[in-house]
Amino acid sequence: MFKIHIKIAFRNLWKHRVFSFINISGLAIGLAAGFLMLLYVGFELSYDHFHSKSDTIYRVVANIKMPTGTMETDKPAIAVPPHLQKEFSEVLDAVRVMDISLDIRNSKIKLKENNAIAVDSTFFKMFDFEILQGDKNTVLKEPYSIVLSETAAKKYFGDQPAIGQTLKIKNEDIHDLNFTVTGLMKDFPKNSHIQADIIISMTTYTQGVLTDFDQYWGTYDPSAYLLLNPNADPVALASKFPDFLERNIGDDMRENKSYVSLFLEPLNEVYLYSSRGSEISGDINSIYIFSILAIFILLIASINFINLTTARSVERAKEVGVRKVIGAEKRQLTFQFIGESIIISLLSFILSIVLIAIFLPLFNTLSGKIVSPSIFSNFTHIGILFIIAIAIGSIAGTYPAFVLSSFKPVKVLKGSFSTGTKGILLRKGLVIMQFTISIALIIGTIIIYTQMDYMRDQELGFDKEQIVVLETNISPAQKKLQDNLNTLSGVISTSLGSSVPGGGNNIAYSLIKNKNGEEQVINIAAYFTDYNFIPQFGLKVIAGRSFSRDFGTDSTEAMVLNEAAVKVLGYSSPEEALGAKFSQWGKEGQVIGVIKDFHFKSLEESIKPLTMTIAPDRTDVLSVKISTHNIKETLSSIEQKWEAILPDDSFGFYFLDEAFDKQYRTHERFGNLFISFTILAILISCLGLLGLVAYSTLQRKKEIGVRKVLGASVVKIVKLLSKEFINLVGVAFIVASPVAWFIMNYWLEDFAYRISIQWWMFALAGLSALFIAFIAVCFHATKASLANPIKSLRTE
Amino acid sequence: MLLQLKNVSKWVQSGGQNVFLLKDINFWVNEGDFISIMGPSGSGKSTLLNIIGMLDHFNEGTYTFLEESVHSLKEKHRANLYKQYIGFVFQAYHLIDELTVKENLEMPLLYKKQGSSERKALVADMLDRFNIVGKKDLFPSQLSGGQQQLVGVARALIASPKLILADEPTGNLNSKQGDEIMGIFKELNKEGVTIIQVTHSEKNAAYGSRVLNLLDGCIEC
Repeated sequence: MFKIHIKIAFRNLWKHRVFSFINISGLAIGLAAGFLMLLYVGFELSYDHFHSKSDTIYRVVANIKMPTGTMETDKPAIAVPPHLQKEFSEVLDAVRVMDISLDIRNSKIKLKENNAIAVDSTFFKMFDFEILQGDKNTVLKEPYSIVLSETAAKKYFGDQPAIGQTLKIKNEDIHDLNFTVTGLMKDFPKNSHIQADIIISMTTYTQGVLTDFDQYWGTYDPSAYLLLNPNADPVALASKFPDFLERNIGDDMRENKSYVSLFLEPLNEVYLYSSRGSEISGDINSIYIFSILAIFILLIASINFINLTTARSVERAKEVGVRKVIGAEKRQLTFQFIGESIIISLLSFILSIVLIAIFLPLFNTLSGKIVSPSIFSNFTHIGILFIIAIAIGSIAGTYPAFVLSSFKPVKVLKGSFSTGTKGILLRKGLVIMQFTISIALIIGTIIIYTQMDYMRDQELGFDKEQIVVLETNISPAQKKLQDNLNTLSGVISTSLGSSVPGGGNNIAYSLIKNKNGEEQVINIAAYFTDYNFIPQFGLKVIAGRSFSRDFGTDSTEAMVLNEAAVKVLGYSSPEEALGAKFSQWGKEGQVIGVIKDFHFKSLEESIKPLTMTIAPDRTDVLSVKISTHNIKETLSSIEQKWEAILPDDSFGFYFLDEAFDKQYRTHERFGNLFISFTILAILISCLGLLGLVAYSTLQRKKEIGVRKVLGASVVKIVKLLSKEFINLVGVAFIVASPVAWFIMNYWLEDFAYRISIQWWMFALAGLSALFIAFIAVCFHATKASLANPIKSLRTE
Repeated sequence: MLLQLKNVSKWVQSGGQNVFLLKDINFWVNEGDFISIMGPSGSGKSTLLNIIGMLDHFNEGTYTFLEESVHSLKEKHRANLYKQYIGFVFQAYHLIDELTVKENLEMPLLYKKQGSSERKALVADMLDRFNIVGKKDLFPSQLSGGQQQLVGVARALIASPKLILADEPTGNLNSKQGDEIMGIFKELNKEGVTIIQVTHSEKNAAYGSRVLNLLDGCIEC
């Protein structure tokens, strides 16, 4: 019996090849797409969970409340972690992780490494990053120890053993010192929010170059992680933090009018939930959106499946009748039909594996991460996909199976059979649902695309074109380099600064006189520059003047504010702020000019207050504006100059515009993924609609025949057939619009600078859906109406 | 007596009125009978046949089949009853298109849950008996109408029913093919199978031992 059912299933599939193809490929595309999305979601959710102690590790973050507002940082002060460990017994361990940039060289190569961290010695005990060579308890104990990842070791030592070798390292604190390689580690897993190729011991700072490092209460630098006693209550611990801070820095806080509070974030939530900016961070909202998208796609595919199968039931009716007459029971028929849909879903499962195998690399590129190296690398994944496929097969097959198996043989064998209005209603309902989803996705796509476009076209307030950025170290030589570069023919101008727009900035503790004449304490973003910075980046001075060499005091006593800073200080016009006294990082003077606001951070953030001062001793970023001619040549002559003047430093550069756009990469990826999967969803819907229309016209063949005999024109018949489906799209549009509006509005709230949702976006989505549906319907309707009526009327 | 209908009526509601399809039918069949039901289109022949075959319900009256009162049986029992005792032959053959001749013949046995070797033997028997061994792996669409009906009859017969119900079995066939099928019925009847057929043709009706004339849902009214 089982064998014969399988036989029938396959013969049926073959007999209706086109529909089988639509059915199987629709479901397979849905499965593959939905599953890729789920893989992505699963990968994002897996961040940092591979640490065996991840449940008891917390990240310490800080809020600093100042008169001007509250600053939220993802890092506490340097002194906080060791003191927490000392003062609270529930803190078993505290590890600081400090992002650093290093110039590393050995006899063979020299490189600038940005993917480096300095960590406390118990780093490898707290986290489960794998050490391949060396003792995880001692590798980072001594100052000037360095642990390399396999990738980094290969880079510096090739196939030679790295352990015991030395590397010469320098940065702003470490001046050309020899480090010994004490350990070799596996490359960090991609689903870790801590990433590094090179790790140096924190003791290098605490016992080496900056011996009072552990007492720095005012510098918010390394990220801090606490390992708590499994029985300890993090909430109870956090409630003791105010007293802890009061004990240690209470007087300082009052004096500076900046009040610190500390919080704990569970390690498992750092990546997805923390809103405190860090470079490697996910977004729980996009996880929600992608999960919904995955479910939508699976839903659309399942609806197709149900629709096509029930629609085809008309054709199977005779078979059901015959079977019942020759002795089949309802139960047996139900199982037969459920079995058939499971077979279809199995075929789809196989096809979807093929599709995933083919498209996974593309998907990895699109999502910017290796969510899975290959579908065959993880059999659990295949198992899950199998279960999803079978579940869809049996759930989607159940309804048609019950409909089919309850046919009355007398009716179906007589030929006076038609599916009840109930079945038609259900199918219509499902089509509406499909189109609702599709239209909502189209609206989403339009809004996301418009927002991305808006961000790309946004006036940033500074020039980012043709600017090459070199990261130097603070030394007299860099000035020499700058002077040398200025002589090159391809170089238009150069400027030294502590930052470039989009590249981070210092936060400086400052006192500036506000509108009321008080010295206002403010931790403010600070750019330290030279005289050429403002003209080089095309920043507009709207009050006062720019820095000038003509005023000898500018190098020591002048400050330029942006508009946002003027506002924070309470001045009603930029002019009012001129002459305001300030003191900042050991410098005192007055405000000499105000510049127009420019986006020195990503467009996601609103523009913050900013100060600029001349400070040659703090500038380590050399930006070079070059002409558009012979860029390659200019770059190579810049490198030559570098090699001649800074032979010990490794040469590296980037283009400012590219680096700035990088900030949007996450959003761009999100947008690209969303758009690709929306297209898939629409494609699957269309497949289903095509199949459905084909059957609906098949069912109305006789009606069409009669109408034609009575003189209806082709156009009239196409109209008649399309009207029904067009109405469904209309209903779907009405349902989809408010839902899409609500969700997309929520998404847009992440952006400080965003588009407003407009009516044409909905109209465009509705019209596209209508157009797509119309084409699908027209195709079959035209075919049906062109057919010779004699054929359709002869059947009985 | 094989079966008996007493005062059986069936009606449908149409426009608020009861329209009788069958009215007060009294009718019995003995084992070994060969009955032809005749009458013009719409006289209720097929309805009567379906009621006898337990595929259709009636509104009034009693129906006894082998001492069982069909009208009071549960659906499942009724299905078991006809599965065991009744074979159907249709005007449009109603073979399953996706199955070969052999598989079509095997189907009723599968539903009766017979063993594999027994099924094979019975199917081989039937193929032999109807001279269609050569066609056993063909699909219905590859056969002529007469051959399809031959398979139809063979399928009705394979579960060795007591009663064969045939609804215009020759309606779609040419006269030569029709004669062949009727010849087979005659022979089966001789072997003791009870047959009830619906037919339009006097010639075919003549094969039977008794003719039942139906007009507007009544017998000879």
